[in-house]
Amino acid sequence: MVPRAETAHWLAAAVVLLVGLILLSEAIVGTEVFRRRRWRAYLFPSLALGSAVFLWVITIFSTFSTMHLLAHAVWAEAAMVAGAVQLAVVRGKLRSPSWSLVTAGAILASGVAFLVHESNPWLYSRAAFLHHVIGWLLVAAALFPAAQALRPRRQVWQAGFALTWVVLAILLFADRDAAPIFGRFGGSG
Amino acid sequence: MRRTFALAVVGAAAALLLPAAALPHAGLLATSPETQSSIASAPRILVLRFNEPVLVAPDAVKVLAEDGTVLSRDARASADGKVVIARVAGLRKGAAYTVRWRVTGQDGHSPTGLYTFGVGVPAPPPTEAVGAQGTTWRDDVARWLLFASLALVIGPLALRVLVLRGPLPARLERRFHLLTTVAAFAFLNLGILAFVLRASNALQVPVADLLYGDLQPFAEKTRFGVAFLVLTLGLGTVATLLLFAWVLDQLVLRVPALVLSLLLASGFSLSGHQATEPNASAAAQLADWLHLVAAAVWIGGLVTLAFVVWPVAPTLRARAFLGFARLSVGLVGVMVLAGVYLALVRLPTVTDLWETDYGRVLIVKLAIVTVALSWGAVHHFVVRPRLEAGEQPRVRPSLVGETAVALAVLLAAAVLTNATPPPPEDGPAAAPTVR
Repeated sequence: MVPRAETAHWLAAAVVLLVGLILLSEAIVGTEVFRRRRWRAYLFPSLALGSAVFLWVITIFSTFSTMHLLAHAVWAEAAMVAGAVQLAVVRGKLRSPSWSLVTAGAILASGVAFLVHESNPWLYSRAAFLHHVIGWLLVAAALFPAAQALRPRRQVWQAGFALTWVVLAILLFADRDAAPIFGRFGGSG
Repeated sequence: MRRTFALAVVGAAAALLLPAAALPHAGLLATSPETQSSIASAPRILVLRFNEPVLVAPDAVKVLAEDGTVLSRDARASADGKVVIARVAGLRKGAAYTVRWRVTGQDGHSPTGLYTFGVGVPAPPPTEAVGAQGTTWRDDVARWLLFASLALVIGPLALRVLVLRGPLPARLERRFHLLTTVAAFAFLNLGILAFVLRASNALQVPVADLLYGDLQPFAEKTRFGVAFLVLTLGLGTVATLLLFAWVLDQLVLRVPALVLSLLLASGFSLSGHQATEPNASAAAQLADWLHLVAAAVWIGGLVTLAFVVWPVAPTLRARAFLGFARLSVGLVGVMVLAGVYLALVRLPTVTDLWETDYGRVLIVKLAIVTVALSWGAVHHFVVRPRLEAGEQPRVRPSLVGETAVALAVLLAAAVLTNATPPPPEDGPAAAPTVR
């Protein structure tokens, strides 16, 4: 009954891509225009919270190794906390731009979890390569919400944050666990 | 130059998306005999099928008899490296065996694990495999913190839903939200810690190897493993409800959060002594659940009174204290009745109280409970009338003291849960149980 690793990765990628497109739309048209319809503001935090529930389900299927159990739990909690705080910001319960630091912390923790749970070197397999890329991407991307806390009006942080999710989705769609790094170019597979 | 770079990026992205073999990380897929199965006749070979080629040493698979004798030799991998076969000799009918395996994956890491099977007898759970260690003080501490975090989810919710109904000052409301949500997250993490600790007692491998330890037999073939999975999903849901209650100001969501938490507490009763000992019964499990739930509401409520209501909302102190005092009468009644019943079930003779470890821990617990109840009685019979009369006695230090004693009760309960009770006097012969 354990879902194939790819299935879980691709489901996650689909959600991440949706989040990325939503954030990118907001970055392109501007927050004011994007949020003329109130419900649009809720899309990102709701998806983050929803994905946290999905990640908890994946967590309990990850008992094939302690490392994976711990990593998935970190991702689930990070998504849950970041989603709830963003939802509270949208609702007006939290007003300070500094709350973006929670999102930054969640993304940083997720990136570190990716790097720690991938114990193989970069070029060992495609999954290893992607996990390293994703880990460092998330660690670096934590700078966007952190910068948003300091300079909330700069659009570049918002756009960078949105693009991070799109790139992350592509990387997750590419995840094939033990496959060679570059598909059939890399050898048998 | 820019165009070449763009083409390279697009090419690399396209290559990454090309289909290729899809395998999960190195791990055990299937075994013969099957994990925790009971087979009719002794096998001559053991087969372990992995999801990717593995390297094996001759002693990569060890089949251990109950006395620790190694009955296997010459483990070797198949041509494709995905199947490991070990020859076994000397297995007999009417005995259970433990298989400990350790292979090296393509990545150079060494996943490790264990499973059991029986020949003509039921297989013991993995926690009772040969070489497995019983619970240690680490398990006791983890269990204690787990109980405490559950109490800090249930207690404040019960106090808010049953005693302090209606609108509250914003600051107090925020404290309630913060306490219950942090406790729910603490429970999730402590649950994972307790589960991994329990598995590590059986695996008996260094921490570095534990990170690659196969926990599936523990998650799927033991009661505590199944309880861990259900509680993790359930408390994840509770945490979500609590976050929504805060963010959306939908305080009514606390009711399902409370109900779900109370129901989830049964996970401990359905995976503990009352479910695994030879004289396990539905009545004992129900009593255990009531005992745990009443204790959680009582202890969590005390913490909330001492650390949330008292410092934050002076005007609500009397209302909260008096309401909680009324609730506590029922809680103490349930705790005592259920506790006495469970003691009678678990201790067949009075001498078991001082002749067994379980009994001695129970004596310690009873002593601490007596202190806690006496403290509560002082609150009930001395402080309560003064508050009802409109006085404002200095109660907080006393509440903090009672809370500390109550948490000590919880520690004793955690030790008791991990201790082995004496066998029932006229029960069936002790059989391997799936804990």
